[in-house]
Amino acid sequence: MSLLSALSVSASGMSAQRQRTELLVENLANSDTTRTPEGGPYRRKDVVFTSDPSAAQFSSLFESEANGNSGVGVRVAEVVTDTREPEKRYVPGHPDADQEGYVAFPRVNPAEDMVDLLGASRNYAANVSAISAVKDMIQKSLDLFR
Amino acid sequence: MFQGVAGNFERYMSLLSARQKLVASNIANADTPGYRTQDIDFRAEFESAVDGESPATVEPKDLPAKPDGNNVNLDREARLLAENALRFSIASSFARADLSTIRTALQEGKTS
Repeated sequence: MSLLSALSVSASGMSAQRQRTELLVENLANSDTTRTPEGGPYRRKDVVFTSDPSAAQFSSLFESEANGNSGVGVRVAEVVTDTREPEKRYVPGHPDADQEGYVAFPRVNPAEDMVDLLGASRNYAANVSAISAVKDMIQKSLDLFR
Repeated sequence: MFQGVAGNFERYMSLLSARQKLVASNIANADTPGYRTQDIDFRAEFESAVDGESPATVEPKDLPAKPDGNNVNLDREARLLAENALRFSIASSFARADLSTIRTALQEGKTS
């Protein structure tokens, strides 16, 4: 039944947006972090999404129908790290300051991350609505048995 | 006899399911670079539907693409999501009414 695989498509969207949100809050939390295990200041991370036909094939074992119009899910293709030069701020006396008194701070723009966070949360909500609409349809077909 | 009652509803409902699935993928991929909106030509598929053949996917025209090549319009998808669910609900009510007519006929035949 193709409606059940629509559920896994929406679930893949929710999980992708959740991963994005995790990285965005990590960016916000670390917007002033000057020390990391890799050395140097924190670097902003972001996700790249790609469509993923396999996410829809959760129930493919039970389906023999042709996959002509199978829905495509989404997954995180990769996590990219910002390679831009860190932002230099003049803070003499800071333990991580260089000889001239400049400290390398992460190049994180809170406005950019907040806007992305809003987008991720809206998209998550849209996927939840899709799941509840599809769930309604499944319930309606089950009601035919009564 | 049952074919005439249930056949059309079944085709209508399975087309709606197929379309709802595409809407779900469009919503899931609303932020995927390069993803193009997918849909089915509902009227054409309903009129020409062959049993057991899955409907062809088409890309709707006139959807402006964002700079990353993605052309998903969430408002359009939200409308389709609601519309499909409503249509499905209507069709299932009709199908249920028809089935209950047949059931009544069977029951009456049994008692007399």
